[in-house]
Amino acid sequence: MTAMRTILFLCLLGATARASFVEPGLPSWDDGELDVLEKAGWVAGGSLLTDEPLPETPEAKTEEPIDVAQPTADEIAETEIDANKIPEEFWPEYFEARPKSFLVDPQRLLGPVDQRDRLGFLNYHAGDSSIDLYVYVFKGDQEIPGELREEEIVERFFSEGRPAVVVYYFMGAPQRSMVYLSPSLTDAVSPAEQRRAVESSVMQAFKDVDPAKQIEAFLVQMSIRIYWMERMLGGGVEEEAAPVAAQAKVSAEKASRVGKYQPMIDVAKRFAVPSAAVAGVLLAMLAASAWLRSRGRYRFPDFEVEPRLGGAHGAGVGAVISFASAALPPASQRDQVPDYLRRA
Amino acid sequence: MKCPRCVQRIHRAAASCPHCGFSILDADARFGGEEVRLRCLTDSAGILRRGERRRVEAAMERVSRRFPQVFVAVYTGALGEVANLRQFGFWLLNRSAFEDVPVEKPNEAGILLTIDPESKAAGMVFGYLLDPFLDESDTFECLSRAHAYWLEGRYADGITRALSHLEGILAKRSRHARRDPEHFQRKIMPAAMMGDLVRRIRAGHRNSPVGDEVMEVAE
Repeated sequence: MTAMRTILFLCLLGATARASFVEPGLPSWDDGELDVLEKAGWVAGGSLLTDEPLPETPEAKTEEPIDVAQPTADEIAETEIDANKIPEEFWPEYFEARPKSFLVDPQRLLGPVDQRDRLGFLNYHAGDSSIDLYVYVFKGDQEIPGELREEEIVERFFSEGRPAVVVYYFMGAPQRSMVYLSPSLTDAVSPAEQRRAVESSVMQAFKDVDPAKQIEAFLVQMSIRIYWMERMLGGGVEEEAAPVAAQAKVSAEKASRVGKYQPMIDVAKRFAVPSAAVAGVLLAMLAASAWLRSRGRYRFPDFEVEPRLGGAHGAGVGAVISFASAALPPASQRDQVPDYLRRA
Repeated sequence: MKCPRCVQRIHRAAASCPHCGFSILDADARFGGEEVRLRCLTDSAGILRRGERRRVEAAMERVSRRFPQVFVAVYTGALGEVANLRQFGFWLLNRSAFEDVPVEKPNEAGILLTIDPESKAAGMVFGYLLDPFLDESDTFECLSRAHAYWLEGRYADGITRALSHLEGILAKRSRHARRDPEHFQRKIMPAAMMGDLVRRIRAGHRNSPVGDEVMEVAE
């Protein structure tokens, strides 16, 4: 029985092994099936199994050009001018009155920190110099409206009051800067000197690529040049110019440093009043306490003391001090000596 | 406590100095045994101008106001060769009758500042009321404060400065006395009582009926 089972198992195993060595036959295409697939529009792997060229994709229909009139050359030019034009909403702040601040930047082209620092510097300059420095800030590619004449604006607004130097500064393009002097200065400061002032300021500005740093350098140098102008007005001598300029530069840097501490100064200003109030209250309390103490009454316990040396009222012999000579200070008199050793 | 003449320490109830025999009688023999009538501010030496007198009086008044039991007197005078300041101060405090001091303030409550512009010396003495609360070093401190002014002849400034310092010391001692009166009481305790105290402590150590017996004796 067992032998029969074994034989049967071996027969099955052999049949299975034989079947595994036989390869499956390739599929055969029926023409009808192929037609059906081709009618459907796509045969999987068809492009690989044929020698025919790839079917071309259907061409998109080309759109016909719309018949619109092309812009004229004048229109293109006007568009460019509009892009560079200062928005009219800012004109009043720029051009309609003498500015109340030394820094005129209604477009907020400077960041808040830079704006505060530059204004701090200009205020410092105004306090240090008899010639004010006003700065109008524009974008680098902006154009001052053609209908306005810068010289006329300066003449109109700066003919009164302290003499001033007005700078039209273009952010990122310091070479476009324009400098105008108030009427009281135009006669005293030669055009050559004005030109030199602008050139040296532009050179200083170009030492940096950051527009904010450029305007800072420009204004510092312009402040120094204004100091020179001031010296010229006052009849100062040329040979002192160099050290004075150096000194002025130091002053300008100092002003710049002041700007760094502006936040702390602002905080101090904000808390100045409450702090002063608290200090005042504390002082008042201290004063009241001192006043109460000064008005306080002090008593001593009354002890029975036996009389000494026959004295009915007192024998509390205290110290004696000599002030005959400054060479005999109190410290040297602390040890009181018997009277019979001092005097007869 | 020290003797005005020999500046040696004396015990609390000495009738005369055990070292030199000094007593009020010696001072009387030198300065006179009769009562002297004075005002609190007596400028016999004439070293104070009118305005300065006012300032000094104001300072004295301030002390009297803050310390209602106490008064301050200032005497200036040339004592000459016959006297010394320590004995004179002791004598004056005991023999003077201050006309402008209220009756309820006896000389025991007085602090007397004496200045001799001729010999250029100053001294300070005080009555029995302040005996427990002041000592020689306190008065020395007060006089030291005035020293620089007196060197320059600014007597009024020196006096006010000394009194101002004295106020501070008295205020401090008064506060201390209010907190711890025993501390000051011990300073003026009679010698006999101190002896009792020692005996009581020793009796306590023996821890026997003998101690109780001693205490009964002491009481």
